[in-house]
Amino acid sequence: MTPTIPRWWTATGRILWAAALAGVLVSLWAVRYLAPVEEQMGVVQKIFYVHVPSAMATLIGFGVTFGASIAYLATKQWYWDAIAASACEVALLFATVVLVTGPLWARSAWNTWWTWEPRLTSFLILWLLYAGYHVVRASVSESSKRAISSVLGIILFVNLPIVWKAVEWWRGSLHPQHVVMTPEMRTTLLLSMAAWLVFLAAAFQTRLRLEWLREAAAELEAAADGATPARPAEGRP
Amino acid sequence: MTILAVTLKDLRLHARDFRFLATLALFSLSLTLILSVAFGPLFRDPAKEASATLWASLFFAGVLGLTRALDLESESGGGDALRLTGADPYAIFLGKMIANFLLLWALYLLLLPVTAMFFDVSDLAMFPPGAGIAALALLGYAAWGTLFAALARGIKARELLLSVLLFPTLIPLWIGAVKLTNSLWSGAGVEPVRDWFKIMVVVDVLGLALAGWLYEVIQEAGE
Repeated sequence: MTPTIPRWWTATGRILWAAALAGVLVSLWAVRYLAPVEEQMGVVQKIFYVHVPSAMATLIGFGVTFGASIAYLATKQWYWDAIAASACEVALLFATVVLVTGPLWARSAWNTWWTWEPRLTSFLILWLLYAGYHVVRASVSESSKRAISSVLGIILFVNLPIVWKAVEWWRGSLHPQHVVMTPEMRTTLLLSMAAWLVFLAAAFQTRLRLEWLREAAAELEAAADGATPARPAEGRP
Repeated sequence: MTILAVTLKDLRLHARDFRFLATLALFSLSLTLILSVAFGPLFRDPAKEASATLWASLFFAGVLGLTRALDLESESGGGDALRLTGADPYAIFLGKMIANFLLLWALYLLLLPVTAMFFDVSDLAMFPPGAGIAALALLGYAAWGTLFAALARGIKARELLLSVLLFPTLIPLWIGAVKLTNSLWSGAGVEPVRDWFKIMVVVDVLGLALAGWLYEVIQEAGE
């Protein structure tokens, strides 16, 4: 991959954003008109159609970070690191959505904004760790940034199975293991899932474009430094 | 042989830095005292509160110990010298991990009787099984701590960063250590919470395995 962005990449980005926008609008329509209002929790239950797809997008994003980090260590190609960092950033955004929508749901379902329930706790830990990934990435020197980020991208992934399995492993979990849904609910969930995953792809593609531009700028700068002789300091002969 | 040499080198560096060790001991004792005052003077569940205090103090004092070990090596140029010897990176990691483990173990031996005294949970029968639990918890802490400390080399405010990354990663280990210690101190034995043993072993093994895979990469990145 060369550090110049081809036109097809930009065009794909536009298509993805258009699809994401259309998908989200359709899913919101389905949430409003197609999905029935749940008897016990009422309209608040509809947060489920944003909460669950966001959680799925988070896991996929962090999964991509893990895979791309391994690929970077194996190949040392800059674009694998760019993919890992971009996926991690977008996934962290979705993780934040999960952490915001969760308490809104919890207030209605469990009568509390927050409880130290296994999945909630493990998800918060996950959020903290991946936020730490970005702090480390911003703190280390440019020369070691990619290797260190890749190592972290691998190490932090260990926590994902804990979040995934928290409901089964720890007793006292308030998250249900299986959810009973009407066909309309299932259709709405599938539509929302598809819409938010396309949104994830669009956001990831745009974020990756930024990394691509940074790499191109760095390469141009390096080329300019190599080609232009150092200018004498002002006031010297 | 490399492992032993690296362990002895790190322990020697710590021994020369006696002032820091004394400060670390005072810091961990102060932490234990503050927490016991916060929970007391009438403890609702002394075994539970004592276990939480012991492991919280150990964690924060341990982070300082881990970063200090790294600083000492950077100051003396030992890290670069070690790499130049061409020694196996995993052997270097193991040597450092053992030195960190022994430092944490010394802290544990200091804090255990003090915590037991402050919270009045001095059951002598818990000491042998308690030592086993501590060995499991501190091994995992030393393995992950050494790995993360190497990762945080060259970063400003790495003590903060280590706390941010290391504490959440080791949550299963802390919960296990607190639950098992609590169970021992309350006289229930380890049987009711023995599943935590398995979880702690998994965390330890994961730390050692990931270090085996990634320590060399971290070392190269730090060059």
